[in-house]
Amino acid sequence: MGVIEEVFTIDLPVGENFRIQRCRYTSPNAKVENEKRISIVSGIHGDELEGQYLCFLLGEWLRTNSEKIRGVIDIYPAINSLGLDSISRSIPFYDVDLNRAFPGSKNDFLPAQIADGVVNAMRGSDLAIDIHSSNVFLREIPQVRIAKSQEETLVPLANLLNIDFVWVHDAVTVLESTFAHAMNTIGTKTLVVEMGVGMRLGKAYGHQLLDGLLNLMAHEGILDIEPLDVRFPIQSHVGEVAYLNASVPGLFVPVIEHCQMVAIGEVVGHIVSALSGEVLDEVIAPIGGILFTLRAYPIVYEGSLVGRIFGEHQ
Amino acid sequence: MKRFDIVTLESPNRAPLRIEGFLFGEENSKGASIAIVGAMSGDHINQLYVASGLVEYLRIKEEEGKIIGKILIIPAVNAYALNMGEKNWPLDKTDLNMMFPGYHQGETTQRIAARLFDTLKGYKYGVILEGRRDQGMCLPYVKLIKSGYEDLECVKDLGISFIHYRPYEPIETAMLQYNWQLWETKAFSIVFGKNGAIDHNDSDEVHTSLVRFLSKRGLLEHTVFEGRTSNIIDPHNMTLLKASRAGIFISKIRCDTHVEKGEKLGKIIDALTGKRVEDIIAPCEGIVTCQYSHPLIFQNSIAFRIASIE
Ligand SMILES: [Zn+2]
Repeated sequence: MGVIEEVFTIDLPVGENFRIQRCRYTSPNAKVENEKRISIVSGIHGDELEGQYLCFLLGEWLRTNSEKIRGVIDIYPAINSLGLDSISRSIPFYDVDLNRAFPGSKNDFLPAQIADGVVNAMRGSDLAIDIHSSNVFLREIPQVRIAKSQEETLVPLANLLNIDFVWVHDAVTVLESTFAHAMNTIGTKTLVVEMGVGMRLGKAYGHQLLDGLLNLMAHEGILDIEPLDVRFPIQSHVGEVAYLNASVPGLFVPVIEHCQMVAIGEVVGHIVSALSGEVLDEVIAPIGGILFTLRAYPIVYEGSLVGRIFGEHQ
Repeated sequence: MKRFDIVTLESPNRAPLRIEGFLFGEENSKGASIAIVGAMSGDHINQLYVASGLVEYLRIKEEEGKIIGKILIIPAVNAYALNMGEKNWPLDKTDLNMMFPGYHQGETTQRIAARLFDTLKGYKYGVILEGRRDQGMCLPYVKLIKSGYEDLECVKDLGISFIHYRPYEPIETAMLQYNWQLWETKAFSIVFGKNGAIDHNDSDEVHTSLVRFLSKRGLLEHTVFEGRTSNIIDPHNMTLLKASRAGIFISKIRCDTHVEKGEKLGKIIDALTGKRVEDIIAPCEGIVTCQYSHPLIFQNSIAFRIASIE
């Protein structure tokens, strides 16, 4: 059975605490030599819920298999707890994206203090898995995103996670204010998982990632189980990502389902006018490949992302 | 005065977004040039007010033949947010001032930023009227980041008491000031007021300092009173006073007050029992430049900032 602990708390103005809780699972046997510690993190964005389901599934597994534990497993299902219970992506009141407030500081405003509290709670973890579910606009296949500078350390770990895609991207300075960057900087190998869509739950992705997590923990010696037979993700360096942005404002109506293969020149969807009844534009695949991102929220402006295709080099 | 659309963007259902510019002086003037950007957020009402006030002021000056250089004012960048009580871009909640230098093939707000930035490039001076990024209110101060291209000397011509001159944070590389400086415009921000409201004293001070800047930098023929001598401060000069308790916050002083060590600046009351739970006392002498402005305060929020010279 895990131990539920409050790792960060701060008074709110009117008779309430803001709190971050974790459930900690430890080895039932005597102290394990050089035992490793992993942190499973969800809800940095209050409108993303896929990670909460994964936390449940993992907790359920650990409760029934506690004798397999050889390390410390911390589950943090709700970092932005105010936001999760009120469909607010950002930290309410301040309207600040918590994932742009790291590493944070005790001397700064509430979001920075929360960030600081999160970092301190997880400091010393060998590994951290930060689970996101895109946002309310886009649906994503299970993928891990890694900054180029971390490629060597993190890609081998990501490959264990039973995900579909590993996306190594050029680091932008702005991303230095993310949770993952802050944790990687202090020596916790941190993977960012994106899967599903905001405000919804996709059960299959939760089970897929659970297998990946169990596999990763088996490889790291945190669980005394046989490694699982997991899928090997597509690696971004073998191909290219094409972005499909709306050319006109309107209502985006997809014709292809998420996660399907598309051919170059194929119609991915239409942008239509609800007022005039016209089809304003066809969204055409500029390359062939897998449609790994697809817009879920139909209202678009010019520039709104409607999809992303990954195509392998020929 | 030439009034024109810098950016127009169609919307699926509402009327198009228009970012309007007001240009004074000769378009191809040999004199200096300046662009002043107002409300980038939907709660930057003070900034909108100062920028539009400047449009009216310069309209009259232009009729009097007093404009020397080229002056562009953009009072409202994010009119969509202003018109619906939002802070950020209403659909995807992105902050327009986190989208620079922009990207013409990118997301909606990256495109807006890119189109706006195309217009802003090439000006000699660039002023960003900014609100605070927290729940505070403050004296007008200049925020100048050390990008390597900044110009501290010109900023002193504003005659504003405090110039906060400091290294930039990672998130600031996506903001207008940093990118504008990289494109060799002498860009700086004036931060002032309280978001969502108009402070007339602060607005007047910023208006006056902008007029002073225009005059001293050869853009406007107008004699001005001297401003204050600026104090250049960095984070070491600032003392932060935090609320150790959450509750109802009562301030006893105004920003710009010179306080002595030991002076009581405010208090916090338990929001349910009404009991006073904390007195906030100045630990040093200095000038209060900034204070928390919402009546409900959070534990560890910064209640006051005091600038000291020592
Ligand atoms: Zn997220």
